[in-house]
Amino acid sequence: MRYLMMVVALLTSFLAACHAQDDRAPLVVYTYDSFASWGPAVSIERAFEGMYPADVQFVAVADSRSMLTRLLQERASGRQGADVFIGIEAADLARAQKLGLFLPLQSGDVPNLASVDATLLLDSTRSLIPYEHGYITFVYDSEQVETETLARTFEELLEPRYRKRIILEDPRMSSPGLSFLLWTIDRYGDPGYLDYWRQLMPNILTVAGSWGEAYDLFLAGEAPIVLSFSTDTAYCVIDQGSARHKVMLLENQGYRNIYFMGAVRGTEHLDWAIAFLDLVLSPSIQSLIPTTEWMFPANPEALLPVPFYQYAVTPPQPVMLPPEMIAANLDQWLRDWALVILGG
Amino acid sequence: MSTRRVRHVLLFALPLLFLAAAFYYPLLRLFREGVTEDGRFTLRFLSGVFTDPYFRRVIFFTSKQALWSTLLSIAIGLPWAYVLTKYRFPFKSTLRSLTIVPFVLPSITVAVGFILFFGNNGYFNQALMFLFGLESPPIRLLYSLPGIVLAHAFYNAPLVARMVNAQWEQIDPVYEENARALGAGRVRRFLGVTLPMLMPGLMTSSMLVFIFSFLSFPIALALGGAQFATIEVEIYTQFIVLFQQPTGSALAILEIFLSLLFTFGYILLEGRFTRPVGGGMRRETVPLFRWTWHKGLLWLFIASCAILYVGPLASVVVDSFTRQWAGRTILTLDWYASIFRPEYNALIGAAPLRSVINSLQTAAGAMLGALAVGGPIAFAVARGRFRGRRLFDTLVMAPLGVSSVALGAALLAAFLRPPLQIGSGWVAIVLAHTILAYPFVIRAVVPILEGLDRGPVEAARSLGATVWHAFIDVELPLIRRGLLVGAVLAFAISLGEMSATIMLARPEWKTMPLVVNDLRAARSFGGASAMSCLLMLATAVAFVVIERSGARMFGGTKWSKSA
Repeated sequence: MRYLMMVVALLTSFLAACHAQDDRAPLVVYTYDSFASWGPAVSIERAFEGMYPADVQFVAVADSRSMLTRLLQERASGRQGADVFIGIEAADLARAQKLGLFLPLQSGDVPNLASVDATLLLDSTRSLIPYEHGYITFVYDSEQVETETLARTFEELLEPRYRKRIILEDPRMSSPGLSFLLWTIDRYGDPGYLDYWRQLMPNILTVAGSWGEAYDLFLAGEAPIVLSFSTDTAYCVIDQGSARHKVMLLENQGYRNIYFMGAVRGTEHLDWAIAFLDLVLSPSIQSLIPTTEWMFPANPEALLPVPFYQYAVTPPQPVMLPPEMIAANLDQWLRDWALVILGG
Repeated sequence: MSTRRVRHVLLFALPLLFLAAAFYYPLLRLFREGVTEDGRFTLRFLSGVFTDPYFRRVIFFTSKQALWSTLLSIAIGLPWAYVLTKYRFPFKSTLRSLTIVPFVLPSITVAVGFILFFGNNGYFNQALMFLFGLESPPIRLLYSLPGIVLAHAFYNAPLVARMVNAQWEQIDPVYEENARALGAGRVRRFLGVTLPMLMPGLMTSSMLVFIFSFLSFPIALALGGAQFATIEVEIYTQFIVLFQQPTGSALAILEIFLSLLFTFGYILLEGRFTRPVGGGMRRETVPLFRWTWHKGLLWLFIASCAILYVGPLASVVVDSFTRQWAGRTILTLDWYASIFRPEYNALIGAAPLRSVINSLQTAAGAMLGALAVGGPIAFAVARGRFRGRRLFDTLVMAPLGVSSVALGAALLAAFLRPPLQIGSGWVAIVLAHTILAYPFVIRAVVPILEGLDRGPVEAARSLGATVWHAFIDVELPLIRRGLLVGAVLAFAISLGEMSATIMLARPEWKTMPLVVNDLRAARSFGGASAMSCLLMLATAVAFVVIERSGARMFGGTKWSKSA
């Protein structure tokens, strides 16, 4: 019993200590885990707190979709959780807009947006603005797969020499996985993509639950080809001192993904939220994107580190389905795909 | 008399009121979306789920893999319980405490361990190829049903072992000795005498394992692949990818309905197997390390367990100390340096070290909460004689069978609205974990309470002890094994929990599994392994401490000399 009392006493005193308050007003930013933990978050926080009397709080305890769900639930309960949200991908854009979670911005609100490439500005209402983009491609282990005879087309990927040598991600659970599904739909149309997947099945070692799992399998040598990002060689050079993992372009394409951020409707600090979005797009913060996010910065004025400049691949023909088309069909596409995976 | 009744009612009513406000009400609110359309009642979503051949296949597969996982967990857990009960060996109590560590590991850690060790290119296959001069990997476990089943057994066999061990030590050895005196052989004695008395513990743990495997999803996807998706994957897709709350809710309703159906079936069966087994007698143990021939089989079992558990976990440890550089594998402390790096601390408000403290504090809070909520309910279930007791018992198990995605959303809603408006943060996480953990206290305590010989309690009462004193001095020590196992499981559930934490945590309250996730998402694979090792170490120490202090707390009377 004395133990119990001691534990309870300890816990209560600890709780009391936690309630020490900061008198600056908080600006709460919901984003995904990697953006906050190793991404540019800390530099953004320092820069912003240097300019405004704000206490920037990043809430990033999961992937971006889970954080968006959290925001939705909080809104449904009438409690405003966040002022800014970072991390909505292009495939989710139309659906996110439909939820009405984000405030439309006036032109000129975000001066740094002027230098951003026009092809990135998908949202006509300007409530969600891009901050980075990248390409989904296959990546192969150049010690296991001959570069000279590498598959260059979707059809060549079906050849028996790749039997059980490809690792993919589940489009229901993972963003690259969804990108590849959309890519095959772009290439073969609906329902042609289902036929392609049927033929691809013998060559797939596994369809993993997340990019991380797929990459773990790839790193452990379970299969030499993985669906990943076109910046992987740059990552491999900077992290492992070798260009062993190489990018494999099919038909000179790569599926383009653009990532968006916005000010959350109902924020009490709209001016701060807008200034915050502008700061994320500033050249100095954008220059951090390549080697923390392993993505291309949205602002072309950003500086790229030399290995990134050298090894990150920009596919000559980027592919992307319109967000409205995705929003209208995704449910059906995923269902049909899942049936094919089950052998239907 | 009347004040005592008031006290009794309060003791049971308070936990139930808490559960109603924090769990059942928000859950039903969420489920309402599955049966309403534009404010009107509809069965469209539910029937849509039932009639779709795709969902039927998913439900069938989910049940099938759960059944196999349960059987394998028993096949590993039961002999393990036998070793823990019958034999003595150095560091036995420490090993018993460590038994539960695999149960709390994040799915990422287990997936990485399995890939590195049991993968086609893993250490196990490489060792076999080297030893037997083979050309290709002989064991292809992953990307198939056996891989998933083995991973589920890895998680859940410890649960079976602990619960059956607690039950076994409760059995008065005199029954087996009588059977031996009457000439029953080893097998006959086990099947005819011991096994029937073990049934409550065995069935309870099997039910828990089945529901656990039924609801599992990240591990099934990681080691099996998309064709092994469970219902939970569909619920995730509907809720989080497609924003289709109605269909998601309908699936979650179906899932909890099935889970509760299994629970109810178990509770109906349980009544038939309950019998008094004596209580808290000290069992004689024999030394493990003395060779006799019949131990050959036992050693084979221990060796297999060692491969199953030490292999993947050691692979994670190795991974945390190595990195690839210029095409070679080198030894390094970089990953550990990176998780202790000061920049990281500033970034997310919770450094990896802080997350260790967060996890342990949260788990301690949840453990106390689960004992406070689950203890009284367990007594009500075991001792209460009221109509609908079995239905009540089933319904209080609901947190176990609810979809983790739906639960996260429901708890977030619960803590943002009155009457329990506490927002997000530490208290919210502890309460959420309490709700998830208390069913384990109930299931750990009820079989022991029901099998308890009431003799000593009644003797104490007849000698003039008050109900309260008889309870504290006699009954509590007699059920201490159940309470301790329940407390340990509650602690473990809290340590491993992620879905509710994701919905409720502020960054400064990130727990260890979230940090492991975090590091992986940020491409720090070695860092994730280093953090996993830190997690294993911290939980191992915590379990040893809990069991030592728990044994001391309850261990004072002559009825309860520790085995």
